[in-house]
Amino acid sequence: MNNLVILPILIPLLMGVILIFFKDSKSVQRTVSVISVGLMIAVSAYLTYIVYTEGIQTTELGDWPAPFGIVLVADLLSSSLVALSSLLSLVCLFFAYQTFSAERERNFFHPFFLFLMVGVNGSFLTGDLFNLFVFFEVMLISSFILISMGSKQYQLRESLKYVIINTVSSMFFVAAIAYIYGVTGTLNMADLAVKIGELEQTGVISVIAVLFLFVFGTKSAIFPLYYWLPHSYFAPPAAIAALFGGLLTKVGVYTIMRTYTLIFPHDQTVFQILLIFGGLTMFIGVLGAVSQFDFKRILAVHIVSQVGYMIMGIGIFTPLAIAGTFYFLAHNIIVKSALFLFAGVAEKITGTSHLKQMSGLLKTHPYVGWLFLITALSLAGIPPLSGFFGKFALIIAGFDAGNYFVIAVSLATGVLTLFSMMKIFMTSFWGEVKMPDPQAKDKKVGSLLIPILPLVALTILLGVAAEPFMQFSLELAEQLMDPSEYINSVLNKE
Amino acid sequence: MKNTPVQLHVITRIVAFIILAFSVFLFFAGHNNPGGGFIGGLMTAAALVLLYLSFDLKTIKRVIPFNYSKIIGAGLLIAILTGIVGMLFGFPFLTQFDEYYHIPLLGETHAASALPFDLGIYLVVVGFTLLVILTVAEDDS
Amino acid sequence: MLTTVALIVLILMALSILVCTVRAILGPSMSDRLVALDTIGINLIGFTAILLLVQDTVAYTEVVLVLGILAFIGSVAIAKFIEGGVVLDRDRH
Repeated sequence: MNNLVILPILIPLLMGVILIFFKDSKSVQRTVSVISVGLMIAVSAYLTYIVYTEGIQTTELGDWPAPFGIVLVADLLSSSLVALSSLLSLVCLFFAYQTFSAERERNFFHPFFLFLMVGVNGSFLTGDLFNLFVFFEVMLISSFILISMGSKQYQLRESLKYVIINTVSSMFFVAAIAYIYGVTGTLNMADLAVKIGELEQTGVISVIAVLFLFVFGTKSAIFPLYYWLPHSYFAPPAAIAALFGGLLTKVGVYTIMRTYTLIFPHDQTVFQILLIFGGLTMFIGVLGAVSQFDFKRILAVHIVSQVGYMIMGIGIFTPLAIAGTFYFLAHNIIVKSALFLFAGVAEKITGTSHLKQMSGLLKTHPYVGWLFLITALSLAGIPPLSGFFGKFALIIAGFDAGNYFVIAVSLATGVLTLFSMMKIFMTSFWGEVKMPDPQAKDKKVGSLLIPILPLVALTILLGVAAEPFMQFSLELAEQLMDPSEYINSVLNKE
Repeated sequence: MKNTPVQLHVITRIVAFIILAFSVFLFFAGHNNPGGGFIGGLMTAAALVLLYLSFDLKTIKRVIPFNYSKIIGAGLLIAILTGIVGMLFGFPFLTQFDEYYHIPLLGETHAASALPFDLGIYLVVVGFTLLVILTVAEDDS
Repeated sequence: MLTTVALIVLILMALSILVCTVRAILGPSMSDRLVALDTIGINLIGFTAILLLVQDTVAYTEVVLVLGILAFIGSVAIAKFIEGGVVLDRDRH
């Protein structure tokens, strides 16, 4: 029992509720949000340290014993993801302060930003399937509000699609939970792992596993279910798009990782399906990105392609592959948000996000250009940046497991990723100065770059000092591949 | 100026208080019997909606000068604080405590810390229902 | 004996709710729908009360009251809509 596990959920919840009372005071809203996000980072970093040194931590809410009550579990995967997402939220918050109009900040932006973090952290930490659904809903409802804030026509149209697709997939989520409860009689994930291991009828479990794949696949935008993503993430302003692109789909990937390593690891066909869809997702996603000519749209479609790598990693399902998946996931959270923020900076300077209308940013704003280049190369997987090591581990693992075809697809995808990133760099940063706004040259954006700097530093650090981080990922993967420690610490079986 | 629905006004003045009393009953009946914060809150909201129906928005705004989004905030705050109180004594979040007391006139009474939590839910439900209904109502003209 | 009667009544009430639903969906005018919905509410109240008799319990008494209140408010709202076109007035004076 350790109350530390609840704190990353409780802090933003409490602070968000307090902020409802200070709707009109900008300074109070800003200070309280920054303090609470800062506290969140400190607590989650400490939690990760505790989990690393002392093993998995659990909290039984309301003091109800494990298979009956709701339990929160922090293992290496969830605690490190909570730490990363808290860091990311601080970055996006600072970026939002400098780009948002005062009116937007008055309209309950801060409470819902914090509630979004409640949902994200809760989804990472919970150890109960129905509670996972609840935190998903908290996250989605906050994201509905953040995505539709501002009420431009395009934004409202796309957020309506986003709302409908997510509501439908939530309905299937409840149905899948009902099925699994009907078959096993429990919803605690650790207890489910034990019960499904003992179960005879594997056919039903396969159906349920595929149903869960549909639900989480919609949230994380894998191949046939990704169509909502590019438009929805194009609509909101850069700070919110960065947060969504960095976190929301990754929560879907996390849930696939968690359920498939813990609850459904026995089912080989499902992993085959994951491999196929992983390959299709990354290839079709990157083709979409190649065909686009808009800064934010290219990045949004790239999310799909990157999710494909992670799905492929889970599909290969060896310790090295899972370690690579986590490494890639962490790298992607950092880099993808940084790129979205760069898109925001470019849009702030030039007033457009269309590539053909801007060029020569490198001459007017050299720092923006070079920092963007580092991040873009990292996304494409050029050594010694962080993207390389995640992909490297995935590819080695794929060769060991003999999945040559998917590996070939992922290598081709890497080349196309590099191509589309270079397209952004060559058209909008390189070349003659050409911008729709004549005053664009003199715009100072130094203060906008400060929040992005930690992200760029982190992607370099993850690349240059890959050894300790990879070691951490391997330990994390071992913990995931052998769920007995998780099960024992949740069900208190020493 | 349309004709004033006199019967509706007279009946509303009586019925609204009956519904409010019933909602208090439902709120306290919770935990051991059917009832609780959610349905109690819905009934209170029903009584207030009845008031809004038979009188007009402006009049009722003068009678009930609350900001409903703040009521939601207050409810959430009460519910969360109830959970945190247990944490201060070293129990997990949301642990609830209960005790039986003998109170004159009322007899054996079951006092549970779930009651403040329910009060929070009650406020959230009242605030949320009215906020939604009034937002929709103010939108159409 | 009582149980048999109660069961027959339950079936009849269920049929009556069905008929009212048809009227509420088809109902050429708004007033027809209002009356149909009101009747459904009243029928549900009776239905619940007879269930109390059949199952020999008092657990659903609150349900009867809640249904009565909701049916009343619903009728008032629809009646106001038919009469004036708006459900909630902004300022009547």
